[in-house]
Amino acid sequence: MELQGKLNQIFCEVFDDDDIKIAPEMTANDVDGWDSLSHVNLIVAIESKFKITFSHKELLSFKNVGGLLNSIRCKIIN
Amino acid sequence: MPFNSLKYFLFLPVVYLLFYFVCERARWCVLLAASLLFYAALKVPYLLFVLPLVAITTYGFGIWLDHVESQKAKRTLLWSGIAANVLILIAMKYLPFLSENMKLFSALFSLDVHIQPVKAFVAIGVSYYVFQAISYLLDIYLEIEKPERHFGYFALYMAFFPKLLQGPIERVGDLMPQLKTPYEFNYDNMRFGMVLFTWGLFKKVVIADHLALLVDPIYSNVYGYKGLPLILATYYYAIQIYCDFSGYTDMALGSARIFNINLAQNFNNPYLATSIADFWRRWHISFSRWILDYIFKPLQMSWRNWRNCGTAMALVVTFLVSGIWHGASWSFIVWGLLHGIYLAFSVLYKPIQKRIYQKLGIEKSKITRFWQIIVTFNLVSFAWIFFRANNFKDALYVCNNFYYGLFDLLLDLSIKNIFSGRYNLTRSLGPIDFVLLLAVITLLLSIESKKDFISSISSKGKLGRWSVYLGLIFMIVFLGMFKGSQFIYFRF
Repeated sequence: MELQGKLNQIFCEVFDDDDIKIAPEMTANDVDGWDSLSHVNLIVAIESKFKITFSHKELLSFKNVGGLLNSIRCKIIN
Repeated sequence: MPFNSLKYFLFLPVVYLLFYFVCERARWCVLLAASLLFYAALKVPYLLFVLPLVAITTYGFGIWLDHVESQKAKRTLLWSGIAANVLILIAMKYLPFLSENMKLFSALFSLDVHIQPVKAFVAIGVSYYVFQAISYLLDIYLEIEKPERHFGYFALYMAFFPKLLQGPIERVGDLMPQLKTPYEFNYDNMRFGMVLFTWGLFKKVVIADHLALLVDPIYSNVYGYKGLPLILATYYYAIQIYCDFSGYTDMALGSARIFNINLAQNFNNPYLATSIADFWRRWHISFSRWILDYIFKPLQMSWRNWRNCGTAMALVVTFLVSGIWHGASWSFIVWGLLHGIYLAFSVLYKPIQKRIYQKLGIEKSKITRFWQIIVTFNLVSFAWIFFRANNFKDALYVCNNFYYGLFDLLLDLSIKNIFSGRYNLTRSLGPIDFVLLLAVITLLLSIESKKDFISSISSKGKLGRWSVYLGLIFMIVFLGMFKGSQFIYFRF
C-alpha cells in the first residue's frame, strides 16, 4: 500500500471515521475531532506504525498533512 | 498615557495627521517615534532602556539564528536568546517575589542567610513585549518566518503603541507585512477603528469602572462580608475584568485600524464558552495561543508516550506558567493552577462525558449547551476569586465563606431586601444605577454575541448609525468615570 494510503488508514483508526480521505493540503480544521488531544494519539500511532521518531522541531512545524507525509517519507527512505 | 485619558484623545489624531502627511518612507519613523513617546509618557525612565534592550537583543539573535548552519548551534542560540529575554523579565518583575520567598524559606529551615529586600520595578508592558520577542525567535528557529533585517521596522514591530502596554501579543508574520504595506486612506477602516475605539471606551469607563464601585469595597475588606455579597462581588468582577480588558483591546484594535493595521483579536464572547478549553480559545486569545504553541505543545509532545496523562500534566505546567506570568504572587499561581487542573481533569473526563451524552441523546441539545455555559462561567468565576483578592489569605477567606447561609438568603431574597442595603448588594449605587447597570450588562452580552456587530452598526442607515454613535458618546460623557481609573491588565 502506498504511503498516503497507509497514513489514511491511521487517520481513520485514530479519528474513528472510515470516511476520512486525506489530502496533502488538509489541516486540522478539515478533520472533525482533530484537536490537540487527538493529535498526540495520531503522532504516537504514526511513530509506532512506521517505526520512526519525529524531532521536536518537526512536530512543531507541521503545517498540513503534506508536511507530515514528506517527513514520514524522508525518515522511511533514510 | 492610558487609552481612556484626554492626553491620548489628543495624541492619537496628532500622530495620525503626522503619519498621513509625511512621505511613505518616513511613516515607520513617525509610528516608532510616537510609540516611544507614548511609552515615555509613563514617566518611568528605565523602561525606555528596557524596551530597546529587548529589541536589540532579539533582533541580533534573530539575524544570528539565520546565519548559522548546524542545528546544534541554532538550538544553542535559540536558548540563549530566550534566556536573555527571560532574565530581563525576571529582573523587572520577579525579584521582589523571589527574595521574599527565599527569606521565608531560610526562616523555615533556620538558615543563617541574609537576603536583601528587593524593591519592585514598574514593568508595564515588559511581559507583553518579552513574550512577543520569544515568539519571534521561535518562529525563526522553526523556519516559519525569516528574520527582519530592517532594525527600524523590527523596533516598530516590538513597540507599536496600540499594542505596547497590554497586547495583543503579535506574531511577526501577522504584523510585519501590515507595517510595511504602503498606506492609503481607507474610509471604512477609519470609521470601523473609531467606532471600535468608542465601543471599547464605553465598556471601560461606563461598565467596568461602575462595576469596580461594587467590587472594590467588598474585596478590599472581605472579612466584613459573608455569603451572598461575596458571590455577587465575584460575579460582578467577572464582568468587570471582561469589560476592562476587552474594552482595552477594542481601543487598541480601533487605534491600529486607523492606520490600516489589523491587530490580533483577543476576545470572542468568552462567557459563552461551553468548557474551560473553549474559554481559553475565547479569552485573551493572543496570550493563550502563545502559551499553547510554545509551552503546552512542546511539553505535550515530549510526554506523548504517556498519552492523556502526559497531556494533562502538560496542561497543569502550562497554566502554572500562565499564573506566574500574570503576577509574582501565590494568588496568581493558584489561579493558574486551578485552570490547569480544570483542563487536566477535562482531558480525563471528556471521553466519559461524550459517552454519557451520546447514550442520553443530549449531545447537541440546547439545554446541554446552556448547562455547559453556566458550569463553565461558574468555574471561571470561582478562579477569579484568586485573581481579584488582595492576597492569598483573603482569597481563602472568600472560598470558605461565600456559601455561608446561602440557602436561607435565597429564600429571603426579595426586591425589597436587595435595595434595602441589608446584604450590601448595591453598595455605592442607588436602585436606578443598579437596574441600569444590569440592563447594560445584558445588552452588552447580547450585542457582542452577534458576529461583526461593529460592521453591522456601520452598515445601518444614517439615522440608525448616528443614533448608536450619539448614544454611546452620551453615555461615555455623562456616565463615564475618568478619574484615577487604571486598566486591570496594566500591571501584567
